Amino acid sequence: MIPLLQTLLDGLVLGGVYAFAAVGFSLIFGVLGVVNLTHGVFVVLGAYAALLLHEVVGLDPILGLPLVMAALFALGYLYQRTLIAAAVERASLVASLLVTFGVALMARNLLQIVASPDVRSIATAYSFAGLSLGPLRIDLVRAAGLLTSLVLLFGLALLLNRTAFGRAIRATAQQPVGAALSGVNVRHVHGLTFGLGGAFAGASGAVIGMMLPFTPSSEAAWTLNAFVVVTLGGVGSPQGALLGGLLLGVIATLTAQYVGPAFQNAAMFLVLVLMLLLRPQGLLGHAFAASR
Amino acid sequence: MTTRILATLVFLAVLAAAPAFVPPFEVRVLSLFCFWGALSLAWNILGGFAGYWSFGHTVFVGVGAFVPGVIVAKLFDGGGAELMPLLVLVGGLVSAAFAGIIAWPLLRLRGIYFAIAMLGVAQVTGELSAAIEWIGGGVGLSLPDAVPAALAPEAFFHYIFVGLLALTIGAAAWVRGARFGQGLLAIREDEDTARMLAVPTEGYKIAALVLSAFLTGLLGATYGFSLGYITTDSVFRTDFSLNMIVHALLGGIGTIAGPLLGAAVMVVLTQVVLGEMLNLHLFATGALVVAMVLLAPQGFLGLWRRKPRAQREPGP
Repeated sequence: MIPLLQTLLDGLVLGGVYAFAAVGFSLIFGVLGVVNLTHGVFVVLGAYAALLLHEVVGLDPILGLPLVMAALFALGYLYQRTLIAAAVERASLVASLLVTFGVALMARNLLQIVASPDVRSIATAYSFAGLSLGPLRIDLVRAAGLLTSLVLLFGLALLLNRTAFGRAIRATAQQPVGAALSGVNVRHVHGLTFGLGGAFAGASGAVIGMMLPFTPSSEAAWTLNAFVVVTLGGVGSPQGALLGGLLLGVIATLTAQYVGPAFQNAAMFLVLVLMLLLRPQGLLGHAFAASR
Repeated sequence: MTTRILATLVFLAVLAAAPAFVPPFEVRVLSLFCFWGALSLAWNILGGFAGYWSFGHTVFVGVGAFVPGVIVAKLFDGGGAELMPLLVLVGGLVSAAFAGIIAWPLLRLRGIYFAIAMLGVAQVTGELSAAIEWIGGGVGLSLPDAVPAALAPEAFFHYIFVGLLALTIGAAAWVRGARFGQGLLAIREDEDTARMLAVPTEGYKIAALVLSAFLTGLLGATYGFSLGYITTDSVFRTDFSLNMIVHALLGGIGTIAGPLLGAAVMVVLTQVVLGEMLNLHLFATGALVVAMVLLAPQGFLGLWRRKPRAQREPGP
């Protein structure tokens, strides 16, 4: 019983971080209809930025989050207003899939040259400390990462549901023309949403950097993960991402524990394909135009 | 039409005659062109004609290469070189059968969801081929050396790749001209309307995927023999899936000359221009994709033709 509970706990902790890492992808997909294949690049960039801050300034990754988020917000905003908007305008939403794919390849290549293809991780002072919950055990780093993820996810939900800016984002997602007629600057909102997505991806990268090793080519795995999370939970909402992330985390750890670590991805994709067939809009999703 | 057939035959004949005139390195570059051109053209049967973009077509290369590998290891104990044509054919057939099995659930998905599901299939099949010890993709499998004594290895495989390219061009041209191909184009333009007009969409999509997987499987099996030793990492490769799309995109998706033109450009670019700078290949490929989408969404052929087309792009 205890090993099963421990596995479930590990799965939920991992799942919280998966949800955090996917919420930006979900937001961009839900609002802009763009499948952002550079999502993983933002995650990995966040991890490298946190590593840089940690090694050069000695700043704790969690305390450094505002800096990382601000930088990636700006990057995301500019990226959307230039490349993505141009691709969508001149060709189509499909073209944006290809453009983001091309940019992801370029970014991975550049990161390999600048940061070397070596495996890195962020070692903090409390990296090896742990907490005990009765017979169960949780690493302090993971607990801190989970807490940060949940707080920021909650913050995003508040921003989307309780502020005028959040209302503008949701209005744009539902009906861009209608939002524009009501005085929303749709282009600007698209840029800001993309920036927000980038900022959350980067923040999750900083948290992931403390928990798991990363390389420039990890970006592909994080993009795919985000896609699976969003498919499971539903597009465009922090709640959907949270549910999808937790499910994915539990599936991944249970498979690794009871079937074998080599079958982790196989189980994840099996669930993904089943989900696509049975309920393509995700567990909590609405049938967004972009998701069909 | 006849001039086109004639031109294609002359082109293939010149390609086939190459080993007699050019040095081994150039023969290898030309073989690579045939391999990539044929792969991209096979992808194009589903992705270009029907608008179902597979992001995981490397799974058929992998299955095609692993089937002969496993048969040789289990039944012939590393021998069986003289059976190569049969083994390649079996690789293609198993690949097609595999496509037939996954087609039923996957082809219900559309657009981006189909693309990502195929990516997942490729990822999982690759990982399983390495994780299941009986298959042995983690350690690797050897394929026997089937090159006849009278021929240099690069010439032998060059002839086979030219033959497979001819087969693929023939298959794609036949599809394009047949009622089947018209049905696929109708699916690409508007699947629901096509269905309403009694196009058997379900059957056509499955047939297109199976045909595409069969051709890709033949190419994969031959590629496996040309390597002589295969592992999961050498045949289940994401960059294979990617290149098939990029070549078609560069030349012109949904055409027959397009994927070949795209493959030629990329092979020259990566092998000749950037031959020394291996670490920049990804960057160059990415930059080219971005530039093409922004500047020439219809590919090189689209630039040349300047034919007004519907605003809506095919694909996911």
